[in-house]
Amino acid sequence: MIQTLRRVFLTLLFLSVSTSNTFAAEEKEGGSPLDVMGTVADHDYFNFFSIKIPLPRLMFVEDAEGNTTFEFFSSTYSAAESDMFDEVDHALVPSNGAHIILDLSITSHLVYFWFGMGLAVWFTIAMSRRYQKGVGRDVEPKGTLQNIFEVLFVFIRDDVARGNIDDHKADKYMPYLFTMFMGIAFMNLFGLLPWAATATADLTVTATLAVMTFVITQFSGTKDYWGHIFWYPGVPTWVRAILTPVEILGVFTKPFALAIRLFANMLSGKIMIIAILGLIFIFAELFGTVGAYGISVVSVTLTVVLYALKVFVGLLQAYIFTLLSAVFIGMAAEDHHHDEEHYNAEHVA
Amino acid sequence: MGLLAAGIGAGIVALGAGIGIGMIGKGATESIARQPEASGDIRGAMILTAAFIEGVALLGAVICILLALGIGQG
Repeated sequence: MIQTLRRVFLTLLFLSVSTSNTFAAEEKEGGSPLDVMGTVADHDYFNFFSIKIPLPRLMFVEDAEGNTTFEFFSSTYSAAESDMFDEVDHALVPSNGAHIILDLSITSHLVYFWFGMGLAVWFTIAMSRRYQKGVGRDVEPKGTLQNIFEVLFVFIRDDVARGNIDDHKADKYMPYLFTMFMGIAFMNLFGLLPWAATATADLTVTATLAVMTFVITQFSGTKDYWGHIFWYPGVPTWVRAILTPVEILGVFTKPFALAIRLFANMLSGKIMIIAILGLIFIFAELFGTVGAYGISVVSVTLTVVLYALKVFVGLLQAYIFTLLSAVFIGMAAEDHHHDEEHYNAEHVA
Repeated sequence: MGLLAAGIGAGIVALGAGIGIGMIGKGATESIARQPEASGDIRGAMILTAAFIEGVALLGAVICILLALGIGQG
């Protein structure tokens, strides 16, 4: 046991030391030796082991006469080469007084979003093929991957879905909840690789996921749900003047909080890692090489601990997103609460 | 000025989240001590409530980041 722990610790230590070289290869601005926000921001290239692969740019451009065209370039470089665009400060500015109406370019965050969700969907479909062949139904499940899949799936189905949504409706929402859980967990864990970007550390990505939960929640709302929001039964009328606006606001703040919670957790973890490893470079500038070596002992140890914490936080945030989605869907799709009230009222009178 | 406000704000946000989640932890551990059979339900409720409080705290932290980056100025 101790031997295994020692080997794991040394491997993590070695990995974190070797990854700090990747940060050294990033561009350095004139001011500080460390560009924190530039590393977490979205890029139009795909960073693969420090090789930058440029990504295609697609956009709707409206030129000065008012014609809207759809342009496709295979990279920012080729867009700048054509006479439609000029490159100003790493951003594309269209020439001849045109405007970019809608920028649908493929960025690195989008590529990692596709990786995460694609891996989740592929994993589930590959496992389902095995279940269709009978392995896992008639025979016991074979192999580590299928057993891990079964543990995760049964956990989401029993504790998250059936624990919060009524039993006869819970299985309808299982595909959505399981894909959300696996997708977010994969995206969070992919972001821990040193050259990779965390897709969920982008507010637009988490807002997309929260909007999906919002749409599903509203479309699964029963009449009781809408009744409870607009005309809460069982309270005096003057209380409803306060309660109705609060409930209507609550419909929108709940998915908003979902998005912000996931985004801020992932972004803060990433910034902490970059800042603490970047201390090495800042100390190198201030105190020379000796200071850098001295602080690297502290920095690397702290980074190893932070990585462990971030793995836990990544999985926990995926679970919390799924759990809260299930709770909101359960609250919207609940239906036999009301019948008990009417039963008592009728029988007392 | 924005940096000062961001720093003080982040400190107050952390204070609020710490007190809130600490009170949940106190209630949860006392309840588990009183009735160990219900520890599964209590653990679920504790994690759910802590997630809500942390969401609000991180909302405040995001506003502090916006202040520190000076997005609203100029």
